[in-house]
Amino acid sequence: MPELPELNPVVHGKLRLALLSLLSGVEEAEFTWLRAKTASTDGNLGAQLGKLEEAGYVTVEKKFVQRKPQTLYRMTEAGRQALTEYVQALKQLLGRAMSG
Amino acid sequence: MTGNVEEQELKDRLSLIESMIAEGRRTTESWAWTFVFWGVAYYVAILWTAVYHWPWAWLVTMAGAWVVCMMIIQKKKKSPPEHRPGTTMGRAIFSIWMAMGISLSLLLPALGFSGRFDQHVFVAVVAAMLGVANGASGMIIRWKAQIASAAVWWIAAVLACFGSEDQCTAVFLVAIFLCQIVFGIYGMIEEARMRRLHEQRQDESHA
Repeated sequence: MPELPELNPVVHGKLRLALLSLLSGVEEAEFTWLRAKTASTDGNLGAQLGKLEEAGYVTVEKKFVQRKPQTLYRMTEAGRQALTEYVQALKQLLGRAMSG
Repeated sequence: MTGNVEEQELKDRLSLIESMIAEGRRTTESWAWTFVFWGVAYYVAILWTAVYHWPWAWLVTMAGAWVVCMMIIQKKKKSPPEHRPGTTMGRAIFSIWMAMGISLSLLLPALGFSGRFDQHVFVAVVAAMLGVANGASGMIIRWKAQIASAAVWWIAAVLACFGSEDQCTAVFLVAIFLCQIVFGIYGMIEEARMRRLHEQRQDESHA
């Protein structure tokens, strides 16, 4: 009997999963755009993005555009890989749950 | 019971991934106005050339239209509803149009300065280039209306090689009307419909 895959706990968090999914579809995203799409608070969003950055799944770039601060997030190759593996594991688990 | 709850949670996670990826790729940008804008610019240049016979009319009109178009795009980018991240697909389409613009801005003056410029060559080259840009964009975003617009440009490019200069001009005028004005207005209506649908979905998800 094949072993059941484990879900990556960093990716599994609902907001972190939403953030990685959002970032997978775009080249880079601003903090404010991510906040609007996830309907989250500044504090929670910042904390979850921090965890993703710590895990090496996103990179952050802070810059000034026309004297206004802008924080841009990009998904890394490791982040893309982690999300792909998470989806595969999720499908496998769902397949098991449906057949079992 | 626990099994069902876990299964439901896993399904929720999967649907969250799907909806967020779709949300990230969904565009709220509006580009259809540029077709109408450039269509009007072509008509201005044609009219200017026909009435005043000034050889620089096209170059001046196109350069002026380019500056105004870029100013409008920059202004729209700064307004909040348009402020969204770029996608690879968006960059690919922008690159096609940019490359087409550069090709035309180099080739047409070169034809003029070399003395090899004539109405047939001009219309055929412009129509073929617009066919390429519309065809490639339409194939990338899988939009049949834009592929149909490309087909009209390609037909115009072929027709421009035959007949008199007046017939050639008539072909160009009709192609501009269909592919820039009519297609542009249709695109604007479609974009407005998509925006309304998007807002409706957002309201539903926030409710």
